Amino acid sequence: MLIFSVFKTLTDQEVTVELKNDLCIKGTLKSVDQFLNIRLDAIQVLDEARHPHMMAVKNCFIRGSVVRYVQLPTSAVDTQLLEDATRREAMNQNKR
Amino acid sequence: MADVPSQGVQEPFDLIRLSLSERVFVKLRGDRQLTGVLHAYDGHMNLIMSDVEETIMIVEPVEGAPEGEGIVRAVKRNLDMLFVRGDGVILVSPPSRT
Amino acid sequence: MDSPSPPPPPEDSPPPPPLPSTSSGSPTDFLKAVVGKRVVVRLVSGVDYRGLLSCLDGYMNIALEQTEEHVNGRITNRYGDAFIRGNNGS
Repeated sequence: MLIFSVFKTLTDQEVTVELKNDLCIKGTLKSVDQFLNIRLDAIQVLDEARHPHMMAVKNCFIRGSVVRYVQLPTSAVDTQLLEDATRREAMNQNKR
Repeated sequence: MADVPSQGVQEPFDLIRLSLSERVFVKLRGDRQLTGVLHAYDGHMNLIMSDVEETIMIVEPVEGAPEGEGIVRAVKRNLDMLFVRGDGVILVSPPSRT
Repeated sequence: MDSPSPPPPPEDSPPPPPLPSTSSGSPTDFLKAVVGKRVVVRLVSGVDYRGLLSCLDGYMNIALEQTEEHVNGRITNRYGDAFIRGNNGS
């Protein structure tokens, strides 16, 4: 749930999603759900020459399970807040 | 459950919790490894790290060499702030605390 | 596990009994019994991790100490501590 919340705070920010098939898609994060499925707008494929079939695509839905990485805008992430939230969530898991 | 001291490793995730804000080594599927500062994780081992160096090991087969051996080429890349999906994680190693 | 381990048996004595109750008890009991011992964790990829088993959980996430990574019989890495994600075991 923690990571889901983090992504929600990043909506309307520019992110780069790297898929497990090495395709890299840069775009504006429009929405995310609990499975970390991702909707991107105004997308741009990094290596267009290798993926010509993506040229005409302007927005997309990415299934969470095919994601390898998401590069986030550093300025939009409060690392101290993240660490505190992570410790808090770990505590609650232990009490469960 | 009896209250346990906050230090000490009772379950595997404690090892990760104690590495928050520290530089960690992460081994991933697909012959990739990362080093970076750990800021967040969850039960799936989804991670958020900063100041990340990724190394991809590419084995180029050499003619006559046995299967699985050849020239290993390491390709490196730097990433500022990165979410890593947990299903690709094989191993996480904290900095040595010795 | 509280008592110190007994001295090694003399050379010509019969081999020591196997690890505590491996023939009876659940797999969970077995795993509890090997915590603190040297173990080999083999991944589906065939990579071995040899180290001291510090703990494990219900998903078979594993924490090892003094870990050596073995690939094709060669040591390829050493880690002071290592967390191995459960789905990778074998």
